[in-house]
Amino acid sequence: MTSVSSALWSWDRMSGCEEPCRGWGHCAPSPVLLLSLLLTTAPFGLLGEETRQVSLEVISDWLDAPQNLLHVRAVGTNSTLHYVWSSLGPPAVLLVATNTPYSTLSVNWSLLISSDPDGALMVHPKDSIQFSSALVFTRLFEFDSTNTSDAAADSPGKSYPPYSLAEFSWNNITDSLDPATLSVTFRGHPIHDPTGAFANGSLIFRVQAFSRSGRPVQPPRLLHTADTCQLEVALVGASPRGNRSLFGLEVATLGQGPDCPSVQEQHSIDDEYAPAVFQLDQLLWGSLPSGFMQWRPVAFSQKQGSRESAMSCQVSPLYPTLAYLLPQSPIVRAFFGPQSNFCAFNLTFGASTGPGYWDQHYLSWSVLLGVGTPPVDALSPLVLGIMAVALGAPGLMLLAGGLFLLLSHKRHSEYQLIN
Amino acid sequence: MEEEGEEARALLPGGPDEGDGGDPATLAAPGALPALCDPSRLAHRLLVLLLMCFLGFGSYFCYDNPAALQTQVKRDMQVNTTKFMLLYAWYSWPNVVLCFFGGFLIDRVFGIRWGTIIFSCFVCIGQVVFALGGIFNAFWLMEIGRFVFGIGGESLAVAQNTYAVSWFKGKELNLVFGLQLSMARIGSTVNMNLMGWLYSKVEASLGSAGHTTLGVTLMIGGITCILSLVCALALAYLDQRAERILHKEQGKTGEVIKLTDVKDFSLPLWLIFIICVCYYVAVFPFIGLGKVFFTEKFGFSSQAASAINSIVYVISAPMSPVFGLLVDKTGKNIIWVLCAVVTTLASHMMLAFTLWNPWIAMCLLGLSYSLLACALWPMVAFVVPEHQLGTAYGFMQSIQNLGLAVISIIAGMILDTRGYLFLEVFFIACVSLSLLSVVLLYLVNRAQGGNLNYSAKQREEIKLSHAE
Repeated sequence: MTSVSSALWSWDRMSGCEEPCRGWGHCAPSPVLLLSLLLTTAPFGLLGEETRQVSLEVISDWLDAPQNLLHVRAVGTNSTLHYVWSSLGPPAVLLVATNTPYSTLSVNWSLLISSDPDGALMVHPKDSIQFSSALVFTRLFEFDSTNTSDAAADSPGKSYPPYSLAEFSWNNITDSLDPATLSVTFRGHPIHDPTGAFANGSLIFRVQAFSRSGRPVQPPRLLHTADTCQLEVALVGASPRGNRSLFGLEVATLGQGPDCPSVQEQHSIDDEYAPAVFQLDQLLWGSLPSGFMQWRPVAFSQKQGSRESAMSCQVSPLYPTLAYLLPQSPIVRAFFGPQSNFCAFNLTFGASTGPGYWDQHYLSWSVLLGVGTPPVDALSPLVLGIMAVALGAPGLMLLAGGLFLLLSHKRHSEYQLIN
Repeated sequence: MEEEGEEARALLPGGPDEGDGGDPATLAAPGALPALCDPSRLAHRLLVLLLMCFLGFGSYFCYDNPAALQTQVKRDMQVNTTKFMLLYAWYSWPNVVLCFFGGFLIDRVFGIRWGTIIFSCFVCIGQVVFALGGIFNAFWLMEIGRFVFGIGGESLAVAQNTYAVSWFKGKELNLVFGLQLSMARIGSTVNMNLMGWLYSKVEASLGSAGHTTLGVTLMIGGITCILSLVCALALAYLDQRAERILHKEQGKTGEVIKLTDVKDFSLPLWLIFIICVCYYVAVFPFIGLGKVFFTEKFGFSSQAASAINSIVYVISAPMSPVFGLLVDKTGKNIIWVLCAVVTTLASHMMLAFTLWNPWIAMCLLGLSYSLLACALWPMVAFVVPEHQLGTAYGFMQSIQNLGLAVISIIAGMILDTRGYLFLEVFFIACVSLSLLSVVLLYLVNRAQGGNLNYSAKQREEIKLSHAE
């Protein structure tokens, strides 16, 4: 009944600590942090923590063949966020936000791997849960884009039979856990691969948690906070079934009511961190603050993520679907019980022209998952600084010059008076 | 492609409506010539004017080929924006030097006729090499092509002006300059709106996109250069014929370039140089990179993006003569330059920080660009003694080309790493430096009691008092 930890890492980077220090609570929060917490905690206890103590724990089932269950626990001063990632069934993640720093996750493995896993995953105390939802990555699509013209850009082309991600086998994630970057990599390939498409390839889910806000070096450089996790989905080395194959991903989430949430497409003027991408897509589960997915509609066909490898990423509207149409995720069932209403949407990466998977057999797309208010990009200090100088200098010059001329003119007229 | 400040004071009745029927070669007998073939008649000069206008058409058309095909070039040749912008930089490099020698080569070495033909050949060969680079999938060959094209392009503009002076001096010169400039802008506009369409047609007939499609498209675009070369040959023939019939001298640029004059340049002249460089680097590289900006940020279709990217040239074609007239009638050049620079600053800020319809900002940019050309270039003549004028203009064009070459590369690099917002902020900083120089120029001019900001009336009075 109890969880057994095969690897437990915690990484404390409270502000004020230059050196990262292991363990819990060795560093006292700085006054700045306390002040900002006071400012941000007023309306919603669980939101807007500047820093969190993040621990990554691979919870393994020592009775059976290894199954991956990753528990990301992000503790703030008066809230805890739990992200539970698993490749049991299709890859899936649970998001649970609680309003106490002491909430815990309990796992009943024998129940979880049984045919009726209801109640196998629980967060205690139950009444501290403020928000919970789940995402399931159900299928990998492949389309033949050779015969699509630009005019019919809405359809990516004829679809090949999709890969069901529930029928993938995954590596043991314990080896891939990197405590320095708080990241874990799930690497999978189909169990049945008659064509050998994945002989040298794999589908990768790289999960990264953060103890404070920041921005990774790797494009699309999404701004993250301590309340978020980043997921990078990468398809590497798999042989496409056509010369110009486009790939897509089907994502399902729990329906929160009769309607499905919608994807907001926000246009922004700022493309400093993702050159030439002026859009930010967001999926909010409910009215703010709730859980969110946030991503730039861009994917990359090269590892460096340079601009010439950027391809567009189209998202379909969310549509309601029934649970039995989707592969079952045991962890979703275990936490939420039997649910019948799911919403699904499809992401398609690339277009028939431009860069694509065919360039280097590489595709990568990143998304941020979190709870609370989604991070908002602000103009960078460099941009603001240049603008201040660029507009200030001529203005000051004009002012100074005007005064100088005025004074000299006055003196000049005085001379004339004397004359 | 830069222009000297051209202004047309008089709008003469009648345009170049003559067809070019009637081969002058068959009617070479002097005396009883039909109007079209008589070099001393207006009709003949209009024929020459038509040829002169088309002389520059090819090079202006092909100069902005990369901008019109930005996405295609980058995709088919698999280059990033930095390397793409090298295509513009390579055009500018030879002109950093050639601006000083173009006039010299025409006057002393080739003569106007051979000079024009040789420069046209350079333009043709450059464009063909550029296109071959596409066909053979060799980007370095494309760069060489642009370099050769650059050797011809700018000097050809000098030759064009020299022809204009030799045929129209004391007659309709300003109008001719204005028309040539308009023709240049039309060339750029047609290119912007035609090349994308041409590419898709070639793609359809070849069956796929790729470097071959790009090369073939550019090769077809090169036909305009052949047209220009034909015009150069025809002009050479007509010019020689006119010399024979009218005993008219071969045209000279009259440019005397003395590099040692540079040390005598006054502070206002240097400020004018700074204004010029900082202003133009925020316009031409922006247009070179603009198409993708409009599709990505404002969601324009490829065709709409081409159209808006060429609006600066479209506006400049009719507005240059109008603004020329305005500046002539009012004087106050510095104030006009100030207006133009401030408007440009505002338009770049709109493009950078708002999602307003970019047509507003681009129209403003077009207007201010035309106004600046009319007000800035003539100012050089007020601060430089006449014998140094050639050196001053040569120097101004040279550092402008240097600025364009350097900034093109920097702009590409900024775009690849930091995106369009940062690029726009960079351009805003350039325009702002230009604005700073305008303000300084105004103050220096005021303090030195200079004549830059006189109204037309004051200039008239001074002219009269000098005459007395």
